[in-house]
Amino acid sequence: MADGARPTGSGMGRVLVAVYALFALAASARAGVQLATRFYEAPLAYLLSAFAGVVYILATAGLAGRGRMARRLAWTAVLIELIGVLVVGTASTALPADFPRATVWSGYGVGYGWVPLVLPIFGLLWLRRTGRRQDG
Amino acid sequence: MISGLAFALVALAGALALFGLVTTLLGRPAGRPHALAVSVVEAVLVAQALLAAARVFAGARPPETETFLIYLMVSVCLLPLGLQFARAEETRWGGAVIAVAAVAEGIVVLRLLTLWAGAGG
Repeated sequence: MADGARPTGSGMGRVLVAVYALFALAASARAGVQLATRFYEAPLAYLLSAFAGVVYILATAGLAGRGRMARRLAWTAVLIELIGVLVVGTASTALPADFPRATVWSGYGVGYGWVPLVLPIFGLLWLRRTGRRQDG
Repeated sequence: MISGLAFALVALAGALALFGLVTTLLGRPAGRPHALAVSVVEAVLVAQALLAAARVFAGARPPETETFLIYLMVSVCLLPLGLQFARAEETRWGGAVIAVAAVAEGIVVLRLLTLWAGAGG
């Protein structure tokens, strides 16, 4: 899979890595503060924030790294991210009472300008595009 | 926080983002002009951070002081990190990386303003 595949973290991919790094920072810092200061207000939402933070960190590492393992990590993390934003987005819209505090993925990421919804789609397209053999 | 300064910074960050995007469109990699543009905005950011930190130490208390101070630190680290990451890129996309950092910087400054509201001073 890695043979002939282009690195995911340079060229246009570097912009993607930069956005992922920002979300890794934003989501995990936010979760850190929330878990440390007011965990009992909304444990589910804050644990979801922390989970999202970890997923963004892994996706950033996978996309910035080189080689087969990094690419596999990126695929897995970005897929989980897409599922996460769709599930949490739907659940927070359908059952707002269970989501009293917002997470990155609430309302499909509306609080972050829909970027959380668009980002994994770009991520998957980029992984597919760079994964093709260059002579193919 | 001085809201006039903060709004000027949001405008500067917007201009920096635009500059980065234009150089990407023109196919120019990140270089000295980018470093210069980032240093100008960064100088104002550092001035703002020092002013705000001085006020907090003088007794001003934003409702979420810790969060405010974390954002203040992020506000001075973001652009230098973005610049370094952008200059490691040899293609045209370095400018777009700076644009991403600049947009994030604008959001951080707006967030600082919101967090400051109610600090009294």
